[in-house]
Amino acid sequence: MDHLETGRLGESLAERYFRGKGWTILGRNVRVKFGELDLVALDEGELVIVEVRTRSIGQVLPAEESVGPRKLKVLVRSGRIYVEKCRWTGPWRIDLLGINLDPGGSPELVHLPDITAGRIDA
Amino acid sequence: MGPVLGVTLKGIEAIPIDVEVEITGGLFVIAVVGLPDAAVKEARERVRAALRVNGIHLRGRIALNLAPADLPKVGSLLDLPMAVGLAMETGAVRLAEPALFLGELAMDGRLRATKGAVPAALLARKMGVPLYLPPENAREVSLVRGVKAFAAPDLGALLGHLAGECSLPPVLDSSLDPDDPPADPDLCDIKGQAAAKRALEIAAAGHHNLLLVGSPGSGKTMLARALRGILPPLTDEERLETLLVRSTLGLRTRPDRTRPYRIVHHTASTIALCGGGSALKPGEISLAHRGVLFLDEFAEFHRDLLEALRQPLEDGTITVSRASGSVTYPARVLLVCACNPCPCGYWGDPVETCRCPAHVLEKYRNRLSGPILDRIDLHVSVPRLTPEELVCLEGQHGPSSEEIRRKVSVAREIQQERWKKEGFHSNAEIPEKLVRTGIKLSREVRPFMVQAARGMRLSGRGISRVLKVARTVADLRGSPEVGVEDVCEALAYRKGGVTGDSA
Repeated sequence: MDHLETGRLGESLAERYFRGKGWTILGRNVRVKFGELDLVALDEGELVIVEVRTRSIGQVLPAEESVGPRKLKVLVRSGRIYVEKCRWTGPWRIDLLGINLDPGGSPELVHLPDITAGRIDA
Repeated sequence: MGPVLGVTLKGIEAIPIDVEVEITGGLFVIAVVGLPDAAVKEARERVRAALRVNGIHLRGRIALNLAPADLPKVGSLLDLPMAVGLAMETGAVRLAEPALFLGELAMDGRLRATKGAVPAALLARKMGVPLYLPPENAREVSLVRGVKAFAAPDLGALLGHLAGECSLPPVLDSSLDPDDPPADPDLCDIKGQAAAKRALEIAAAGHHNLLLVGSPGSGKTMLARALRGILPPLTDEERLETLLVRSTLGLRTRPDRTRPYRIVHHTASTIALCGGGSALKPGEISLAHRGVLFLDEFAEFHRDLLEALRQPLEDGTITVSRASGSVTYPARVLLVCACNPCPCGYWGDPVETCRCPAHVLEKYRNRLSGPILDRIDLHVSVPRLTPEELVCLEGQHGPSSEEIRRKVSVAREIQQERWKKEGFHSNAEIPEKLVRTGIKLSREVRPFMVQAARGMRLSGRGISRVLKVARTVADLRGSPEVGVEDVCEALAYRKGGVTGDSA
């Protein structure tokens, strides 16, 4: 399984996971200027942009640790562009879903809501 | 006026702050505007965490405005009103009437003690609104009469109270503990020094400033410490004034009527003594308000520090002015100074010989005989005791502190009654004009004073100081009229007698 396949598998897992939580999925792999949004969903009136990170086991860092400040900046920028484009005026946030695949057992999902809270200054 | 009010401190005064909240769509961010300092800006993290613990998740773009916008906001005491404002905006609670909130939030929603509870309580009373505060501040606020205050252990309990789900216990008025001043050392344990003890009694009764001069080991410091045990109790009004100063610094206060007693070391800076700094904090002289400020080794203090004391000693208040603004603090202190008569310490000693050269002695005198000495009513010499007196081990030495304190309290009550109309508490405070009109002299005093003024070359200020002290001496005897013997005693404490100069 190459890394692109791993990614796609992860995104499907993510979609199933969030549907199970009662979220409305608005889009997958939405292309905007400067980047791509893995998953866009609606959680109780709040627009959520989800960055899905999938890793097969054996790599040093768990998946949810692989978003650094640079990626965060890109996410915020593409998020803003998306929100602007679809004329969304309500609150929105950026979530991170880390998926650690285990060849033998079931995948482990780590959901981190609102990863920019307190990190962005007004 | 918005419904959610906080306070910020300006000197000992609490200024009401309107907390306004706007939440719009967008990525989550909290912006605080209205000149917040670092502690107020950082409040957004504490507020966010504390609200989350209580099930309120903030989202969207949040703007918090602290009005008036041009007044700098200082400290963590605005955490709670910000949290309540946000909870209201998200619809979690409704506030029917305006209320004052005060407190620092912990990440888990508990409320931590803050400074400024007493000024806030006074403001709440003036505005007629309820006050919500941390439980640790409840004791000091309970001493302020007529305040509708509630102590909230954490944010959850407060929000529950505002939503009407549960109710917080109101802070009940509490009375002061029966006072039990520490009489250590007790005056009856101090051998000899009858004259100095009498001067302490007069100083305590009339709130007169006192200078003790004596050779090393003669007991100056011990006598000054014994003053603590004979000071009259604080009245309710005075009590509130001292509480107010301590509360602006966040200091705990014992709930009794003991007067403040502050000992300042001679290495203290002018700001430590008079107040200041970027936050315009009160200094030692304000912490000693209505009590004693003791400067041991008086001659070692920097000249400019002593000069800085001149104005507050005269006015009873000190105005601290800096680039960031100016505030006025109360500073009505009983100044007690102790020093040696000369650099080597043995000038005028019956046994040892003074070895100071004349020019050194003169330099020392110059340092002492500044205008500050002119503001000290009682100058007392504390001579070394004879070997016979020192070895005498048995028995009491004169009346106990408790007895003197009772006498002093009676004298102080007479003064308070006399000057109540003018708003003064003691003889030392009264202005020049009142000395002329308010002090009743017996018939023989006037010619006697003229003679004394001529013989001792008294200045106008000197005469009125003598009369004030004489008034206190007469109060101690319970006499409505100042007699010649009172004036005689007052003249004995005049400047010059102990430091040797004739001014």
